[in-house]
Amino acid sequence: MIGALLGLGIVLRFPLPPSLFPMQDTTRGKTVYVKWCAGCHGDGGAGDGPAAAHMLPRPRNFTGALYKIRTTASGQLPTDADLMRAIDEGLPGTAMPAWKGRLSDGERRDVVAYIKTFSSFFADTSQHVAALKFSSEPGGATGAAALDTGRQFYDSIGCRKCHGDQGRGDGPSAPTLKDDAGFPIFAADLHQSWRFRGGGSAADIYHRLRTGLDGTPMPWFSDLIDQKFLTDEQLWRLAQYVRSLSPPEAPEVRDVIHAPQITRTVPASPDDSVWGRVSRYWFPLVGQVVRKARWFAPAVTGVWVQAVHDGHTLALRVSWDDRTQSPDSAWLGFEQRVLETVAGDDSAPPKAEPWPDQLAVQFPRHIPDGMERPYFLMGSETDPVYQWRWTSRPRKSVAGLARGIERFDTLSGAPAGQASFDHGEWRLVFTRALATPDTANEVQLEAGRAIPVAFFGWDGSSGEHGSRMAVSTWYFLALDRPTPPGVFISPVLAMLVTLGLGLVVVRRARRRGTAGAGRRR
Amino acid sequence: MGKLGVVAATGVAMLTLAGWMRPPLPAAQGGATISGKVKFTGAKPAMPKIDMSEEPKCKAKYTAAPPTDEAVVVNANGTLDNVFVYVKSGLPASYKAPAPAGPVTLDQDGCRYHPHVFGILVGQALAIKNSDGILHNIKAKGTKNRPFNISQPTTMTSERTFTAPEVMVPLECNVHGWMHAWLGVLPHPFFSVSGSDGSFTIKGLPPGTYTVEAWHEKYGAQTATVTVAGSETKTADFSFAAK
Amino acid sequence: MTATPAVRRYAAHPFWQAVAIMVGAYVVVVWVVPLLPGSAIVPKSVVLQYMVTVLVGVLIYVSDNEERWARFKEPIVAVLVEPRLRVARAALLVVVTALVGLIAYGQVATTVAAPPNLRSIHPAPPAEITFRGRSITLTGLENPLRAHPDSLAVYLAEGKSVYYRNCLPCHGDHLDGQGHFASGFNPLPANFQDNGTIAQLTESFVFWRVAKGGPGLPREGTPWNSAMPKWEDFLTEREIWAVILFLYDQTGWTPRTWEKTGEVGRGKGEGS
Repeated sequence: MIGALLGLGIVLRFPLPPSLFPMQDTTRGKTVYVKWCAGCHGDGGAGDGPAAAHMLPRPRNFTGALYKIRTTASGQLPTDADLMRAIDEGLPGTAMPAWKGRLSDGERRDVVAYIKTFSSFFADTSQHVAALKFSSEPGGATGAAALDTGRQFYDSIGCRKCHGDQGRGDGPSAPTLKDDAGFPIFAADLHQSWRFRGGGSAADIYHRLRTGLDGTPMPWFSDLIDQKFLTDEQLWRLAQYVRSLSPPEAPEVRDVIHAPQITRTVPASPDDSVWGRVSRYWFPLVGQVVRKARWFAPAVTGVWVQAVHDGHTLALRVSWDDRTQSPDSAWLGFEQRVLETVAGDDSAPPKAEPWPDQLAVQFPRHIPDGMERPYFLMGSETDPVYQWRWTSRPRKSVAGLARGIERFDTLSGAPAGQASFDHGEWRLVFTRALATPDTANEVQLEAGRAIPVAFFGWDGSSGEHGSRMAVSTWYFLALDRPTPPGVFISPVLAMLVTLGLGLVVVRRARRRGTAGAGRRR
Repeated sequence: MGKLGVVAATGVAMLTLAGWMRPPLPAAQGGATISGKVKFTGAKPAMPKIDMSEEPKCKAKYTAAPPTDEAVVVNANGTLDNVFVYVKSGLPASYKAPAPAGPVTLDQDGCRYHPHVFGILVGQALAIKNSDGILHNIKAKGTKNRPFNISQPTTMTSERTFTAPEVMVPLECNVHGWMHAWLGVLPHPFFSVSGSDGSFTIKGLPPGTYTVEAWHEKYGAQTATVTVAGSETKTADFSFAAK
Repeated sequence: MTATPAVRRYAAHPFWQAVAIMVGAYVVVVWVVPLLPGSAIVPKSVVLQYMVTVLVGVLIYVSDNEERWARFKEPIVAVLVEPRLRVARAALLVVVTALVGLIAYGQVATTVAAPPNLRSIHPAPPAEITFRGRSITLTGLENPLRAHPDSLAVYLAEGKSVYYRNCLPCHGDHLDGQGHFASGFNPLPANFQDNGTIAQLTESFVFWRVAKGGPGLPREGTPWNSAMPKWEDFLTEREIWAVILFLYDQTGWTPRTWEKTGEVGRGKGEGS
């Protein structure tokens, strides 16, 4: 069994060369395609299935034979292995799932054969299709010298024009970007490698730099190596630099935010040095698709949360990537294109308006004793939730009771909110006393309890406001108590007992050993 | 097919060399000539100004007047610039295009393409030159030809060829959203682009009856039928109206 | 050169055999089992149970034969007694003591954990519901679209379109509850490919769940967590029946029928 598993692993690790796909069958491929793919990609492969209008990015249109994720030169057709990879592993950050394990090997191969029938380019034998020769990754990926070299080329080849100075997709050209079909396209946020379409490793990034992403504004850079503008190794350094902008691993979602107790006063500023020492928690945000009007293209894909308290006051820091400090007139055209591209519940796309960015942190009014808590999506008429809401313009924070998405009643006691915007990242700190006078409406933050908490985010420049937002489910905030000294008593006792017993066992064994030896003698 | 701007095929040749500011084309010696003017009627549309403040190097090249969008360029004499005029059909099946001469050059200068509209032969090299020395990417978005998207972060030249006739292949730069050019890829050298006096000339045609099409990026296409014999010159004028 | 006989000697020794079995069992339970299709990471308490079982088995084996038992004990006794192994003995004592201390600390140093979330996955449905102001009796109700077998293809196409326009972001392309928005919700969207969801239910039950969504759940279904919309706000009765047809057709399950079950859902699939 183990042998079989290992064997399977070895087989799967090496993509089969195209010549090993002789058994492909377009008739069977069509059956699979119609059943599992057409809902998004359309019966005719034009990327216009019933789900397509709700998506950004849109599903691939196979009739143009333009593919982002390839191992071939810019403008060349993909190899069969490239197509197979996209199907097997999906395109992270989009609605395309990984089909390996969902469809059989044969089914996936047949689908590859079938989607090639949508474009005559694949039947054109004059088309040159050959995977580029990629070098293997040079060592020293995370060394300062390597990253410096990478950064140098990040600047010199102009990555910042679209991806921004710090790589969050906020460059000056970003609001003008469209894909080849005319849909708005975001320059990738290079701080979220787990959402890179072709994979997040340095090798994946290097491959994308070599090949470009066809059908998008992302060009290929292989010409630059041929023209000696940079070396292959320097391109690798650039890939490694880009990789270094994201966390080493895709963030894992942990249910409980632990807020350690600190001895100094809690920091009210988002750029205080304390935040560099407190662990941060990632919470994914997804589109509000529960109530009208639904929103299928949330711009805020998640928030990083940190918290500390000093026994009297809680400081909660929320940071998230956002390409704009909304409202931003440079992005109004982009906003309009997004609203026109992503279908929702309105009969006609709304008009782009200069909405601000917003963030809400939600608590129940009281820490629940049982499991029951208010409805996660901003409570209800009868069971409201207590929220902190922050807007970028006017720059302010308020507290209030939400009774469903539509209704928000402001309370008099607002948390302090301080925000800074730095190269595509909002950093926001809310501070509030743990105990407040309005115990009926404002959650009383007690240490040692699991306090339900949820987050909501709006990017004004993507047309988000009201029900068009990104939402999370309930998570928990726990204000940690300093460890009482009593906690150490029992481990020390246990250790003493263990050591004592160990010594007794050794002594007895030795005595018996000597006795036995004596008897034998 | 829209309205047909058919004009009588008599007249004097108006070989205005000033209109011939496009790259030299490989024209066969002798043969017939079709020439004419592209008129423009109606109100001249105001083209939006282009804000190049992100690229001071480019902005500095426009000292006289700020650059404007090039989608519609109406000449001082009321003619229309940047109209691609070409023989759409009518060549004998036996016609063989001459081997293309040197490459056609597309220059990126002052964050604009020069020329804005031009033609090329199938298989002829397109030399894409970056004179600005700042990052441009050049993307070809043909549907009959495979696309390409090249990064040019410095002063450099890249060459590409096209494999199939296609009118037109859009070219664009995504770093500078205002940069657009249009390329007509043809299997023969019988094409021209109206210049700053609105005139065009197609030379070296074998005798025959041709469908000539005039294409404009904003106003669409018009066709005319022209019959030529020997080495005569015939006139085909086109007229586009403001929309 | 000498390694091979040494290895062979260790391999034949009952003590080292026992150690190898324990290590092997741990590796299999902790790392190999989660790789098997359809399995998840084994919880710590279960790992402990398995390891105790394996240990008992190993002890029975080594003590089954006098000579083997004696040989088994040799290295243990040696560590406790032999003067030349003094360092190993001391190290063992220190390590064991430190481990016990760590485990004890882990036990007493409580940190706040997310409270357990117990919910009934298929709570008992009401006998009747009000759909857009109209009363619908669920008990005994069949999918009315199945009464027109000639038009089934049309209904299925309609259901497919409804699914892709509405359900896809959460329930996914493969209907396995892993749509691109699924990770943002808790509980995770229902996996229709699983044999514990629609395969166990009558279509009337599914109709109730679709029509009334999370907010229509009874308390034991934790309605405050569910992101399932109340679809009667979005879809017509016919669209809901059509999408239910599609769910069964696409996954290949057949709905439970009233003749066979009489009562539905009650007590089925209770869990956390």
